[in-house]
Amino acid sequence: MTSLHHQKDEKANKKESPDLKGTFISVMMLGLFILASWFGVYALFVIR
Amino acid sequence: MHLHKYEKIWLMFGVGSLVVFLLVIGIGAFYKGTHPQSQMTTIDPQNVEANEAFKQENLGLTKVDENKYILNVVASAFNYDLGVDEEGAQVKSIRVPKGSTVLFHVTSKDVVHGFELAGTNVNMMVEPGYVSSYETVMEKPGEYTLVCNEYCGTGHHLMYATVEVYE
Repeated sequence: MTSLHHQKDEKANKKESPDLKGTFISVMMLGLFILASWFGVYALFVIR
Repeated sequence: MHLHKYEKIWLMFGVGSLVVFLLVIGIGAFYKGTHPQSQMTTIDPQNVEANEAFKQENLGLTKVDENKYILNVVASAFNYDLGVDEEGAQVKSIRVPKGSTVLFHVTSKDVVHGFELAGTNVNMMVEPGYVSSYETVMEKPGEYTLVCNEYCGTGHHLMYATVEVYE
């Protein structure tokens, strides 16, 4: 199975780099969520 | 070592956030005096009266200065011992004037309890063997429920008291 795949790869001879833009956007959105919730809770602490 | 451009940006973001968080917490701790509420003072849970603050006559609210109070509490399953009033009845509610500074001193005789004044920053664990303390200024008038927010057994939901901040 792997040897077949390897042959196909060599025939195509293309370098495939995965498209990371989607991952990057998701991860930055997660980062913003973490920042927002952290400061949200900190604000609650300062206000009380 | 080759890093993808996105990974560089994400790493900078991550390390940057960490620096910001640590700065905020560091300033809060060293400059503003925020500190851990428990694990600092130890006590013998089987003999809490040996500690001056938790002798029967010192339990509850004590005025130490103009607008400064100390509240000594012994938590047990399933009760907050706030001392007795003049008639000898168990105190269930505490009253402080608005703007007063209150220092809460709490310990537990048996299991881990919580000590939270719902709606305020008073929120800490009370562990047997340690004295938890927190000082705060009661700015907002109102009636606050003191709840146990750490499961301590079958009577956990019945463990509460009241603190009233009056104008």
